Amino acid sequence: MTFIVPIGPQHPALEEPAHFRIEVKGEEIVGVDLRLGYNHKGIEQALSDRSYAHGLYLSARVCGICNSTHSLAFTRAVESVAGIECPDRARYIRVIDAELERIHSHLLWAGIAAHEIGFTTLFMLFWRDRELSLDMRELLFGHRIYASGTYLGGARVDIKEKDIPQLIRTLAKLEKSVKHYIDVCTSDRTIIARCSGVGVLKKKDALELCAVGPTARASGVDFDIRRDDPYAAYDEISFDVIVERDGDVLAKVVVRLREILESIGIIRQAIDAMPKGAIRTKFPENVPENEAVGRTEAPRGELMYYVRSNGTNKPERVRIRTPSYANWPSAKPMLVGGTIAEIPIVVASIDPCYSCTDRVTIVDAETGKFRIMTKEELRRLRR
Amino acid sequence: MIEALGYVLAFFVFPGILFASAVGLLFAGIDRKLTGHMQHRIGPPIWQEFLDVGKLFGKEDITPAAANSFVFNCAPLLCFGAVTAVMLLLPINSSQPVLTSVADLIVIIYLLNIPAVCMMLAGYASGCPFGTTGSSRYVVQLFGYELAFITAALSVAAKVGWSLSLSSIVSYQAQNGWMVSQVALIPAAIAILIAAQGKLLRVPFDIPEAESEIVHGSLTEYSGPKLAILRIAYNIELFVVAAVVVNLFFGGPVPHTIGGVYIPGVVSFLIKCFGIVVLSTVIRNIAARLRIDQALKFFWTFPTLLAAISLFLVVVT
Repeated sequence: MTFIVPIGPQHPALEEPAHFRIEVKGEEIVGVDLRLGYNHKGIEQALSDRSYAHGLYLSARVCGICNSTHSLAFTRAVESVAGIECPDRARYIRVIDAELERIHSHLLWAGIAAHEIGFTTLFMLFWRDRELSLDMRELLFGHRIYASGTYLGGARVDIKEKDIPQLIRTLAKLEKSVKHYIDVCTSDRTIIARCSGVGVLKKKDALELCAVGPTARASGVDFDIRRDDPYAAYDEISFDVIVERDGDVLAKVVVRLREILESIGIIRQAIDAMPKGAIRTKFPENVPENEAVGRTEAPRGELMYYVRSNGTNKPERVRIRTPSYANWPSAKPMLVGGTIAEIPIVVASIDPCYSCTDRVTIVDAETGKFRIMTKEELRRLRR
Repeated sequence: MIEALGYVLAFFVFPGILFASAVGLLFAGIDRKLTGHMQHRIGPPIWQEFLDVGKLFGKEDITPAAANSFVFNCAPLLCFGAVTAVMLLLPINSSQPVLTSVADLIVIIYLLNIPAVCMMLAGYASGCPFGTTGSSRYVVQLFGYELAFITAALSVAAKVGWSLSLSSIVSYQAQNGWMVSQVALIPAAIAILIAAQGKLLRVPFDIPEAESEIVHGSLTEYSGPKLAILRIAYNIELFVVAAVVVNLFFGGPVPHTIGGVYIPGVVSFLIKCFGIVVLSTVIRNIAARLRIDQALKFFWTFPTLLAAISLFLVVVT
């Protein structure tokens, strides 16, 4: 005899609205049904209503946490549509921007994960050190959260020579504390009890369900856009792709924390290798008819932008595939077989970002057919 | 008549409601401040808990229609009354408590369980899935920590010749030193500290009110004055449980004279209780929350085993 436990749309374990219908047999989970769409913002349509330069700002606002990588992916797609190359110095600035974002995103996630398992002290410590990376973003790009240092055809701001010593000092501080956190997470008995062997995603499932990013890498899938389809200056920087075999929550914690160490290494190399010179080339006003895909490795995994241009200064169509969207299906094998108490940490372990994921499909409840709503219908709904 | 008045005074002023709530709220405030510092925050001021409770008393009481029942409305008062009654049975200033009976240890253990039972009933009566889940977890946890708690308390009773009176336990310690200084009782002391952590629903055993999973467990639907009473009751419970542990293992209220300065029994008692609260705060800040099945397994193996070893050693020797 099974019954349905509803989690969400409003629930303390979820930062943003999502609705899980968890089918349970006693404490054991036997089935999961996921319903999204509470947060749909209509960004894709809005992007094709704006010029490329305005679209860049909008793309950064798809996600509050990974704004740099969103604007970078958009820029990558638009630049290949327009057929322009950005200057060398800008490529390195983009790398520093993206990696600082990865550090801040991973530390933010680690804090949330610690909170989900009731370890408030660790939560506070993670977020204390996240402040360091935010300060660096403010120092280099002028904003703690919406740094997005990318601009069409180059970088938005230049990195000043006088800021670099402080950046290096902060990186050393971060490196020391992250190493300590890795020790804590792999040795604390209560953390291991809550995370080890919980929410296991097998390599086979990860491949079948097309999981991306740290979620896939924790299950032994050796895949990273930075290495496999290099963009910005990643092809000139050496780094390791962190892969763990276990696939449980603990592996996901370790993968993310070790990736922070790699990011610190990448930023150091980028600072050393960064050439002098211009940071921007001219971006044409009208873009010839073309189409392209831009991929980046966001903190949560592979982010994909598809852009089709039509010869004007506005894109014809923009399609965004965010990493959380690719990771949602893998929540099912991770949850099934576990207990109710594991739901918060397992759901959190894929680092879901709801607002960039939500899609709306109109389904006729009687016939089960999908259909597209017209603009007039939507206008009527809004009234 | 005068004797009856004395009891009323004892219940309402010292060591009853007024004293116990003041100390309990102060301990809770210190606990929050210390937690803040351990987490690299400034933390609230020490008197914050008084302000919070005062604010709650001034708030509107909103009871959901599904929860509006006799049990739900009575639980806070019953909970509050039970923990305050324990204060009368505890030796606070000298080895003699306000109310003496031959087997007050049993009464104390009973009374200390009433808050837990009240919260369970309140959770089940609240008509809310979070409350129900919290209560069912609380039942499981109660069966976990209670065995270790009682076994540890029994091993102390066995040491003083199976006396179940706290005052005789305290007088025994005044003559022979603290119970915790006896090798045979050290495991029991560790066991009772762990069990107290479970009794007070503190990390790693805050499972029945895990806020990231089930909001506030059994108390989710409470608001306003009822929540304030429950909050005071919880803070008094924090003090009372520490006091029971101090009386059983750490000498209880014993007056000292250090460097010519006379320290009354109640002061040394409060300092010891404070020590226990600080220890509990430190534990709650260095651990993650366990799952309910892990907690039950843990309680029935490690602390229960330690307490049983103590009991065995005491009975054999």
